[in-house]
Amino acid sequence: MNQPISKHIFRAYDIRGLYNKDISPDVFYKIGLAAGTYVKHTMHGTQICVGSDIRQSSQSLVHAFIAGVTATGVHIYYTGTTSFGQTLFTGGEFHADLIAFVTASHLPPEWNGLKFYYGDGVGFPEENLMAIRDLVIQDSFELASWNHIGQVTPVDAKSGYKRFFSSQFKFKKKHTVALDCGGASMTLSAPEIFTALGFHVIPVYCDPDPTFSKRPSDPKPKNLITLVQTVKKNNCDFGVAFDGDGDRAVIVDNTGQILTADQTGIILGKYGLKKKKGTIIVNVECSKSIKEQLEPLGYSVKQIPVGHTFLTLESKQTHALLGIESSGHLIIPEYFLFDDALVIPLKIAQILDSIKKPLHDLVVETPSYPTKKEEIECADDIKFEVIEQLKQKLSTEYKQANTMDGIRVDFKEGWVLIRASNTSPIIRLTTEADTMTVLQDLSSRFMKIIQEIIQQIKTK
Amino acid sequence: MTRLFGTNGIRGVVNKDMNSTLALQIGQAWGTYLKKTILRPKCAIGTDARLSNHMLKSAVTAGLLSTGCDVIDVGLVPTPTLQYTVKEKRFDAGIIITASHNPPQFNGIKGTAYDGTELTKEVEEAIENIYFSQQFVLSEWQDVGNYSTWDGAIELYLNGILSLIDITSIKKQLFHVILDCGNGAGSLVAPILLKKLGCIVTELNCEPDGTFPGRHSEPIPENLAMLMKKVSERGASFGVGLDGDADRAIFIDEHGSYIWGDKSLSLVGKYITKKKGGVTVTPVTTSTCFEDVIRQNKGRVIYTKVGSPIVARVMKENNAVFGGEENGGLIFPEFQYCRDSAMSLAKILEILAIEKRSLSELIAEIPCYEIIKTKIACPNEKKEPVMNLLAEEMMTHNEIIDIDRTDGLKLYMKDGWVLMRPSGTEPIFRVYVEAKEKKRAEQITIFYKNLVESIIQPL
Repeated sequence: MNQPISKHIFRAYDIRGLYNKDISPDVFYKIGLAAGTYVKHTMHGTQICVGSDIRQSSQSLVHAFIAGVTATGVHIYYTGTTSFGQTLFTGGEFHADLIAFVTASHLPPEWNGLKFYYGDGVGFPEENLMAIRDLVIQDSFELASWNHIGQVTPVDAKSGYKRFFSSQFKFKKKHTVALDCGGASMTLSAPEIFTALGFHVIPVYCDPDPTFSKRPSDPKPKNLITLVQTVKKNNCDFGVAFDGDGDRAVIVDNTGQILTADQTGIILGKYGLKKKKGTIIVNVECSKSIKEQLEPLGYSVKQIPVGHTFLTLESKQTHALLGIESSGHLIIPEYFLFDDALVIPLKIAQILDSIKKPLHDLVVETPSYPTKKEEIECADDIKFEVIEQLKQKLSTEYKQANTMDGIRVDFKEGWVLIRASNTSPIIRLTTEADTMTVLQDLSSRFMKIIQEIIQQIKTK
Repeated sequence: MTRLFGTNGIRGVVNKDMNSTLALQIGQAWGTYLKKTILRPKCAIGTDARLSNHMLKSAVTAGLLSTGCDVIDVGLVPTPTLQYTVKEKRFDAGIIITASHNPPQFNGIKGTAYDGTELTKEVEEAIENIYFSQQFVLSEWQDVGNYSTWDGAIELYLNGILSLIDITSIKKQLFHVILDCGNGAGSLVAPILLKKLGCIVTELNCEPDGTFPGRHSEPIPENLAMLMKKVSERGASFGVGLDGDADRAIFIDEHGSYIWGDKSLSLVGKYITKKKGGVTVTPVTTSTCFEDVIRQNKGRVIYTKVGSPIVARVMKENNAVFGGEENGGLIFPEFQYCRDSAMSLAKILEILAIEKRSLSELIAEIPCYEIIKTKIACPNEKKEPVMNLLAEEMMTHNEIIDIDRTDGLKLYMKDGWVLMRPSGTEPIFRVYVEAKEKKRAEQITIFYKNLVESIIQPL
């Protein structure tokens, strides 16, 4: 019961762990106490909006969290079991000081966790999450007296969210779309809203399945075979797959081709934005094609570190029109600052409505460069030192080196990015280039540099 | 080791001894206990109107879910409503977050078995043992319980009461009832029930409010002063005051006089046995007036230890027609085996409607006894030797015509009785005396109080 809580469940952007091993109702109760203490003391706030995804273990965790928050005297708006977007939208409607969502996103069903956002949809920064972590580790909570215990108000997260989409989207054509919810949280919103908006919906894994028995909740290409087949078989205008909680959408075009987030982002930027001037946010992992395609149209493309917190915060500060993370988080601040996945396919349908071309035609117009992602083993205790030394070395060698998140070096025909994994003993090397030859050349050149530095540090 | 469960669940001051850590672990202990015999237990959970209810409900819910029990949240309901729901919906257990009549800084956790009856001591001990040994059996991620809400409990419960009551007769009378729910959970049920029975209702403190702004929630005379005043001022048919979780009801006659629980218990007991005779059950503390009216109607009284769960269990075992306590907690077995204020209220209305007489007239027919209740300080460890010495001493008293050792020592004399029993929760001896004449009751009280004190002293 009173086993120490592992620090490692607190990651840069969220809390994650294996249920009953790293996280449990006891741990979530303490996180609730810490979050309540934080909201009361640091934010001078009074309320948290909380909901949970569809995972089987979510209900025990969310109730333990609520017990902790209310014990500190902070009130709760409880949305129940919802998609990510439903709880985030509702938290915004109620002007919650903090929004908490119980989920482990795309991870397997034995995992669970928690994400925090501010009421306006901006992600909770790492240093603030660490402040909550420290309260948990130090058992430093402030309990309210009996007459100031927090109250729980159950709120309906479904109708307001649905109304919002009905008011924002109207379609001339009845699009046929294959919806792959993976049995996860988007089963609670997407089928109903798509049907209400007049789509012809072909459901793929749209029944709630809290153990994710039909397909893994990570919508990576190898998990989307059924969706691709469904799109082809039914001559769908397009298909879409969501992750476990509903903050990522993967688009499949009418030929069954799976789009990368960068490709989807470019199409949204080219055809989906009302304003023809403004900022588009990309992270350092994004393809150079985004800049090449969108800057000539009048947009300025701004690079940021990896992480949805930076994406949402930077978008807010620069009044950005679009935000793209190559991992699949896309935001269109015209609707929400947070990375709600439902907006993406609806925006794609809106584009198809006005362009009157099949989606694949738009995909073909978008260049796609060869990329390569490599993992280099490197012990946890030295990986950050390796990155530091690489930063020094490469910054002197290449004046265009960018060190905002790892090291990115841009060349005329391509770029490389070197980052340490936050969770595994790995250094990642990402390369993109105009041709395969350049790709191989850049990749092997920097691979060698990384390995040399690792060797130097090891033998020191 | 201190026992967690008192006579009525686990109680404590909120965020001091009654906090979420305890509630979470009680949920886990309870769930672990249920899982021993049931594959996938279904537990209903509800609360009274206290400010800390949501917190404690969430904590217990988390604990139950984590052990693989499904939780059905029925919301803010009176205790008997939850109990009836558990029985009727065939749930495996019920949990109510309430501290009954305690002050607002208190809260508690109380449980019921599958049939809606309160937990037996054996089950409470089994849950406590799991709690103290921390031997919780937590489910794997894929077996964590499901949480759902259900808002049909109050309707189910009201329909249950109405199906057992002569609605037509009551409606004809157009009773005017002053209802004081003490801002407790009864606010959600009693006003609707009275309206469905065609009564004109004047509501006092019928807004659920955990700060209990209207009055203290124990329905004793000083807390019902306003109710008594209103009844006589408005010329109402009668008044009724409920406790915090609405398992007990106290009645005020049409003149504004407080009716002690013994009397209302006797009135209803008389009415029920008059129709069908049978066994009735009450604790040894109840006034003789109850036995008098039951015997007049060819019924029989079984005496039990103090505590409504015991009364309910003995009723069940003996197929009793009625039972209850002297504090306004009446049990109607054809409805359910637990104290129920709304059913008591409906029954009193039915009696008034059928007898076509006023409440004060009906109460006047119940025999009168003088009752004196006192207490004597006594350290816990001395309670047992004192009891033994008292029992020995009694053998030499000629005026004693009978001895009942059901709970403590109850001595019958030809013109009264005395009950001496050690308190289960406090370091005191309680002395109850009853006699026909006030003077005689005082005389017995002084004699036995001195006797108990003289035995405690040398120890």
